[in-house]
Amino acid sequence: MNSTSKPPCIPLDGAISYEDWLKGRRYRRELGSRVAPEIIRRPRSSSDRRLKKLFHGERGLPFTPKEKL
Amino acid sequence: MQLVVVGGSAIEILTEGAYASGDLDLCHVNDATLPVRQRQEIMGLLGAKGGPRNWEVAGMFVDVLGPVESFARTPYRRVQGPYGEVLVMKVEDLLVERVLVSVYPGKNSVALDCAKKLAAMILDGSIPVDWNEIRRVANLPDYRNFPDCVKLVKKVADELNLQTPLHPA
Repeated sequence: MNSTSKPPCIPLDGAISYEDWLKGRRYRRELGSRVAPEIIRRPRSSSDRRLKKLFHGERGLPFTPKEKL
Repeated sequence: MQLVVVGGSAIEILTEGAYASGDLDLCHVNDATLPVRQRQEIMGLLGAKGGPRNWEVAGMFVDVLGPVESFARTPYRRVQGPYGEVLVMKVEDLLVERVLVSVYPGKNSVALDCAKKLAAMILDGSIPVDWNEIRRVANLPDYRNFPDCVKLVKKVADELNLQTPLHPA
């Protein structure tokens, strides 16, 4: 990651386009992974019963791997 | 009627932090209440099942929690999606709230990781914020966690070798 490859920011005013938001997904995942584990989904919550029923024992859909972002 | 994405789903949109579960929390922005009939009619148009406060729709769960709890005087963030614009909770509120949850009622490592990822995006400039609003919100009686915010932001800034603009008062 360096400044030349930095994607558009999510602005304070105005909207980020869907295309620009998509462009930044991998950058944001990699940046976050520098300060915390890559996947930090809570292991449990009060919604587990309905979540695990819908997502086949998981608490949600699998996250898109970094390489595919 | 406007709905805003709050909580973990908002943080997911902003950070790509691999945090969110299969439920999406929404609050309403501009009405004190959202009549149950209206909620059911709108969700019906989307093919949702259930209600009146949570639905299964489009392969996930959606919860409408009530009026949004926001203290920051900054705008909701706006992300264009393939089917229209999505309002996302104010980053200033999210950071201060997540820092609070990481400390009280007891240490919460997932909330801490979440706050660290959000702080990283902010410090890096990927999500511009109003630092004065973060300072003000964290000093409100509702939070009173400014020192915790300073500590967290400094820790992340040090890890990324960046300067923190948030200093003790």
